[in-house]
Amino acid sequence: MAAPVKPSVLRMLGRDLGGALSLGMVVLIVLAAILAPWLSPRDPYETDLLAIMQPPSAEYWLGTDGQGRDILARMLFGLRVTLLMGLASLLAGGVLGALIGFCAAFYRRADGLLMRFMDILLSFPAILFGLALAAIFGPGEVSVVIALSIATVPLMARIVRGSALVVMGLDYIEAARAIGMSDGRLIWRHLAPNCLSAIFVFSTLRLGQVILLGSALSFLGLGAQPPLAELGAMAAQGRNFLFIAPHISVIPSLGIFVIVLAFNLLGDALRDALDPRLRI
Amino acid sequence: MLRRATLAALAAIGITGAAHAQTPARNQIVVMREIDSDRYDPHRSTALAGGEVMTMLADTLVAMAPDMRTIRPLLAERWEVSPDGLVYTFHLRRDVTFCDGKAFTARDMAFSLNRWIGRTTPRVTSPVAWRAGDVKEITAVDDHTLRYELNRPFSELLSQLTLFFASAIDPATVERLGDNFGVQGFNGTGPFCWGSWTPRQEMVLNRHQAYRWGPDFYTNRGPAQVERVTWRVIPEAASRVAALQAGQADITQYIPPAFVEALSRVPTVTRHTQPNYFWDVFMGFKVDKPVVNDIAIRRAVHMAVDRPALVRAVWAGTAEPARNIVNPNAADFDAESDRMVPGFDRAAAIRTLEEAGWRPGPDGVRVKDGQRATFMTYAINTLDNQRMGEIIQQALRQVGIEMRIQLFDATVAWGRLATQEFDAFFLSYPYVSATDALNLYWHSRNRPTPNRMNWADPQTDAWLEAGRSALDPAERARNAALIQRQLAEQAPWLTVARTSLTLFSSNRVQGVRAHGLYGAGLYKVLDVRTVR
Amino acid sequence: MIRHGVQRLLLALPVLFGVLLIGFLLMQVVPTDPATVRAGPQATAEVVAAIRTELGLDEPVWKQFFLYVWRLAQGDLGVSIINNVPVSQELGNTIGPTLELMFAALVWSIPLGIALGTVAAYLRGSFVDRVVMAISVAGVSVPVFFLGLLLIWLVGFQWQLLPFTGRGGPLWTMDGLLAIILPAITLGGVFVGPVARMTRSAVVDALQAEHVRTARAKGLGEGAVVRRHALRNALIPVVTLIGLQIGFLLGGAVVTETIFSWPGVGRLAVGAILSADFPMAQGTIIVLSAGFIIINLVVDLLYGALDPRVRG
Repeated sequence: MAAPVKPSVLRMLGRDLGGALSLGMVVLIVLAAILAPWLSPRDPYETDLLAIMQPPSAEYWLGTDGQGRDILARMLFGLRVTLLMGLASLLAGGVLGALIGFCAAFYRRADGLLMRFMDILLSFPAILFGLALAAIFGPGEVSVVIALSIATVPLMARIVRGSALVVMGLDYIEAARAIGMSDGRLIWRHLAPNCLSAIFVFSTLRLGQVILLGSALSFLGLGAQPPLAELGAMAAQGRNFLFIAPHISVIPSLGIFVIVLAFNLLGDALRDALDPRLRI
Repeated sequence: MLRRATLAALAAIGITGAAHAQTPARNQIVVMREIDSDRYDPHRSTALAGGEVMTMLADTLVAMAPDMRTIRPLLAERWEVSPDGLVYTFHLRRDVTFCDGKAFTARDMAFSLNRWIGRTTPRVTSPVAWRAGDVKEITAVDDHTLRYELNRPFSELLSQLTLFFASAIDPATVERLGDNFGVQGFNGTGPFCWGSWTPRQEMVLNRHQAYRWGPDFYTNRGPAQVERVTWRVIPEAASRVAALQAGQADITQYIPPAFVEALSRVPTVTRHTQPNYFWDVFMGFKVDKPVVNDIAIRRAVHMAVDRPALVRAVWAGTAEPARNIVNPNAADFDAESDRMVPGFDRAAAIRTLEEAGWRPGPDGVRVKDGQRATFMTYAINTLDNQRMGEIIQQALRQVGIEMRIQLFDATVAWGRLATQEFDAFFLSYPYVSATDALNLYWHSRNRPTPNRMNWADPQTDAWLEAGRSALDPAERARNAALIQRQLAEQAPWLTVARTSLTLFSSNRVQGVRAHGLYGAGLYKVLDVRTVR
Repeated sequence: MIRHGVQRLLLALPVLFGVLLIGFLLMQVVPTDPATVRAGPQATAEVVAAIRTELGLDEPVWKQFFLYVWRLAQGDLGVSIINNVPVSQELGNTIGPTLELMFAALVWSIPLGIALGTVAAYLRGSFVDRVVMAISVAGVSVPVFFLGLLLIWLVGFQWQLLPFTGRGGPLWTMDGLLAIILPAITLGGVFVGPVARMTRSAVVDALQAEHVRTARAKGLGEGAVVRRHALRNALIPVVTLIGLQIGFLLGGAVVTETIFSWPGVGRLAVGAILSADFPMAQGTIIVLSAGFIIINLVVDLLYGALDPRVRG
């Protein structure tokens, strides 16, 4: 039960067709986002007023939007924004949640209070955080990231606490304590590595959910604002032309679907490979 | 087999269902729009959403003919103006009644006009009280004579009195409903009466049975042919298009330009246009803010933006590209200014910037004396503004100017647009004539709103005052022309598009005519009738 | 049982207080001045000042908080900045359609999800199982608006089969029934996946449980085993999990209402936030949160009643 061994995980994923496929998809998506400036055929903000709302063609592979911008270019750059928003929320909420989870498992006296507080946070669906934050700070990417971070904290805290408690019950923690290991060291050295697989699986699945929620908020006009290329916002703007040029909204929506699907499939496969008993 | 049967059954239900679905009853029409008004009080709201309903609920002393120049009798059957232009005497019709059956008198009219300009208690503050002119006193001489006395002549008075702000309302109802006047009820002399209002959903108006005093440019002077008008709010453009096609609603002026062509080809739908429609889309600059205080930047913006291409892309043939600040069809338009406004010429834009000392910076944005050529634009979050903004942003980038855009929802936007946080803004506005348009935006007294440009020029003020109080129309036109030329030269405002009024109706209704006074497409709807 | 109930109720109190506080803070920290918003486009400074006084925006903060809680206790959620209509009245108008939409979405998606999940669990590892699992993972991955836009475009616009422009009237009328079909399919569509998934894992667990194995050993038919033992035991966690997924449903409802112009609380909330109608935004958020907490509480109590083990 030491730190997860990466090669074996990859090998296990490789054996599962869905796992291998989803891993491939995720790698492609991340690569496309990183390489967007080099892959993109055009500037995503360049408007060609003579070619507005063009369907997919040899020149514009995915067509153009209402302002004559290349949808393929916008998809690539939009992917970046969408992924970054998701990662930022996951990182901020995940780190805080994991800390709280460790503390709750380690300092039993704080456990009750901390987890009650987490329960309170858990009482609110993420969409409500999104609405409230957008109401307070105004619609924008920052509001969305803060809202999704807050919504991630209690979930991560629960997962981490659950995994950590199992470890806490083991003898060697007592032994380590007995030899005078400091709390911080103990958490870092023994608790954290043993929770990594749970954190890893949860993060992958959560990233999909966070992207889905973030794009929904952007779609509602509460998140990323035009002209920023963001998939949800692109779908929202394209919705105005749904009956004339459906591809403008359908392509970004489909993009979100594929990304979220990839992360969900990968998360499932990781769970099966790493920790089949995990209930996430 | 089973599946096919199910599908067929589903299709059958669906088709008959869709045909049945919400088709309005005979002699009733459903008018669709995008947004609702906050209330229906002519003296407290200025939005088109309020005005378009107000023109049906209430009448004004005089009416504006569809040519947008001729003043016709309405509640006043005739009027006289004193030679010095200070006293207007209106002789009112004697057969007019309110919706509740009470007779309409000059006292009611005097109350309404005084309420508009904040001279009744409790005091109502109309944001557009200045449209009434510099009033000395408005009094009822007798039951059917109204005296409207000014401190200074106001050449625009009659056309201002056609606007819905000058509507006649019942004083007793105002007193009874207090703050809820126009929220819980209304009592006017218009062709329709207040039925019920569900905010942001629908407003139901019932025919005013006694109505006989419609303006003479309608074949039917009253009562209206339709018994009920339902104003339904449908925020999504696509839904409005579909509802009109499916016959679930009858009339709308809120069809996005992109749909206009396609919808015009639908056989069950008729398109109506009004060429005399003055509603311009523009971009204004705060002339005292860094970067945009440089006339070279402002002129370069004019030259960098290909307005004909932009207007074609965004408005798809439903608007005309603009140059001068006022519409060529509007009274007191100056043709010379139209030639003076810089047109699209990218090379000239770059030359202008270079000559003014704006040199290319490391990131492609020009710099002068350590100042980057960047500015912030605020606008209301509409599809048109989004698209226009993104296109202008791109056009400016090509000459080395960075334009940042921040869009706000309509209700928030007005608050933000009253601040000094931004350097430029997009807006659109209706006007009656050149003098009207210029008075609204360019007097130093009107800062910070609606003069968001912070334009404070004593010469402009003097010309405006002279035009306002001119007794001779030629004198008024001369002053208006001088201002138009000054603005063409200084370029504090890029007029982008002249929108046109496009009204669509289903073939279930006939007699629809686009009017468009202050944006209201339908005006009194007296001739409209249903054929099914 | 009673202790469990009291415990859950006590836990709900701080949550409710949190809702109130968030609701109030929302009004305090907003950057836009409601008075300017109210004053409109062409207003002067005096007009704005007069409106400030009218709205009571010049009172001290603590006083505003007490006033707010006091008014809330009386069911007074304030008045919309935009159109002066009481927030409680608007909420009263919109809450029905939202519940109606959620009901219409759940009424088909839960039974379908449970059926799919049970079949998948029973035929675990088979092709059917894999198809069901694929549907369910697609279901949790698809953006609600994607499903909605596709339905509007194809069913509503291209084929002109069903209306998609808002509520057609009460559910018992033909218009009402037709108008709710597409929104209900959209919202329910994203719910089938999670339900099927949860049911499957719960039924799989239950099938492996001891008493099920006993029942099998006694020679009970497979159908009876699934129905009488496995599914019944599996339903308890499924009920709880569905309760937890109400948040997911709520998120979907907000988007669905917006796309279909459904006159519900979610659309009201989004509109209010976009238009900086803070009393309205606050009211909708308080009501949505409170509704969510109550549903969770009910589910919790139900769970306690269903599962004897929780009673202790």
